[in-house]
Amino acid sequence: MARESLVVATLVELADNLVDNYDVIDILTLLSNRCVDTIDVTSAGVMLCLPGGELQFVASSSESMEVLELFQIQANEGPCVDCYTGGVAIVNHELVDPDVRWPHFSPRAIEQGFHSVHCLPMRLRGRTIGALNLFRADVGLLTTDDIMIAQGLADVATIAILQHQSVLGARLLNDQLSFALNSRIVIEQAKGMIAQFYGGGMEESFSRLRNHARNHNVKLTEVATNLVEGTLPLAGLDTVREPHR
Amino acid sequence: MFSERLITIFDLMASKESHEGERGILCSVAAEITAVSATGITLVTSMQLPLAFCASDEVAKGLIDLEITVGEGPCRDTLDRDDPVCEEDLALLRNSQWMLYAPSALARGVRAVFAFPLRIGAIQLGALCLYSTTPGPLSESQFTDALLMASVIGRGIVALQAGAAPAALSQELQREAAFDFSVHQAAGMLAVQASIDISSALVALRMHAFSVSQSLSVVSGRVIDRQLRFDPDINEWREGGL
Repeated sequence: MARESLVVATLVELADNLVDNYDVIDILTLLSNRCVDTIDVTSAGVMLCLPGGELQFVASSSESMEVLELFQIQANEGPCVDCYTGGVAIVNHELVDPDVRWPHFSPRAIEQGFHSVHCLPMRLRGRTIGALNLFRADVGLLTTDDIMIAQGLADVATIAILQHQSVLGARLLNDQLSFALNSRIVIEQAKGMIAQFYGGGMEESFSRLRNHARNHNVKLTEVATNLVEGTLPLAGLDTVREPHR
Repeated sequence: MFSERLITIFDLMASKESHEGERGILCSVAAEITAVSATGITLVTSMQLPLAFCASDEVAKGLIDLEITVGEGPCRDTLDRDDPVCEEDLALLRNSQWMLYAPSALARGVRAVFAFPLRIGAIQLGALCLYSTTPGPLSESQFTDALLMASVIGRGIVALQAGAAPAALSQELQREAAFDFSVHQAAGMLAVQASIDISSALVALRMHAFSVSQSLSVVSGRVIDRQLRFDPDINEWREGGL
C-alpha cells in the first residue's frame, strides 16, 4: 500500500475505534505499529501518565524484552519523561554513551541497536496525557513529513483516549447516582414500613432506622434493604432508648 | 451551529439560576429552549418505576404522575426503544397504544408528547418528555434542540451528583430536583398493612390511584397521613384512621 493510503487507512481505523466499546491498549498498539509501517522508525511505543504523574508503558510495536526494558527505564529518565514534562517534541540526532542527559537510558538503547530516538507529546487542548516514543536503528533526524504523520496519528489516538476516559468517568458517576437513588428509595420504603408497624411519623421512623444501623455498626441502606426484603423482621429493630425528638 | 445553541442553553440556565430558590430549572429551560407547553424529566430506578426528577409546571407534574401510575407512556417507551418517541396527536392514537395514558393526558389538555432518552454512552439515565397542548410534529430545530437539551440534562444530572458521599444524593442534586418519595413511604406502610412485599404494594397503590382517579402522590399522601389504609380482613381500602 502506498504510504499516503496507509496513513489515511490508519486514521480511519483509529476513528472507527472511537465507538462505544474499545480498548485503549488496542488503539495504542495500532498507533505504534502504524508508525513503524509508515515512517522511518524501527520501533515505536507509547507511555501514558498515571494519575500520580508517573509515566507508564502501555503499548509498543515490539514486545521484545529489550524494547520493554527501555520503556521501564523511562519511568524515571529518558526522552519520554522530557517530552511529557515539557509538553514538546524531543528530537535526538544521535544517542551517545556515556550520556549526561540520559545516563541510564542511552547506553541501554545503544546496546539494543538503537542509535537515535524521538518523542512526540500526546496532547489535546493544553493537556498532555503521554508521549509517543520512536526508536531508530540509524542516526539522524526524522523528515518533517515523518514527524507530521506521527504527530497526526498520535493526535487521533489522544482524542480516542480522552473520549474513553470521559465515558468511563461518566459511567462511574452514573453508577454512583443510580446507587444513591436506589438506596434512598429503599430507605423511604423502610421508613413507611416502620411507621406502619410502630406508629409515628416518617421522621420518627427514620430515627429508629438510624438508631438500629448505628447500634449494629451497619449502613443505613443495609438495614433498610434487609427490612424491605424481609430478612430483618420489623420487630427485630432495636428499641429507641433515648427518644429522638 | 450546535455550539451557538449550547451557549444559549447555558446562558438561559445561568440566568434562571440567579433567581434564588428557583427549583427544577432544567425542566423550565428545556421547555423554553424547545418551545413546547411543558416538560418533565424522570430518572430510571431499580424499582421499574421511574422517579420524577422535575417538571416545568403542574400539567407536566400530573402527566409524570399519570405515567408512573398507569405504567405506560412516552418516558417508558423512549427508554424501552432507546430512541426518541414522537406522538404528534394523542387523539389519533390507535386503540392499542397507551390505552390508559392517552385519554387521561388528553383530558388534561395535552395533545402531543415527545420523549427523549437521557443517555451517557450506552447507559440510560432517564427521560426528557415534552408536552404540547397543540397537535403536530416538532419542527426540525425543536427536535435538534430537544436532543441537545437531553444531552445537557444527562451530563448535568451526573455532574450535580459528583462528589456526593457513597449511597447519598448530593445536596446540589436534591436542590435541583423535586423528588417525591411519598409513594415509596406509602408502599412501605401498605406492605405492612396488607402483609405483602414492596413490589406488590407499589402495584396496589397505583391501581387504587387509577381506580379512584387521583394522583399517585395524593393517594400516597393520604396513606402517610393515615386517612386511607388497606384492611386485610375485608381485603379492601378503607377511608379514615386506624
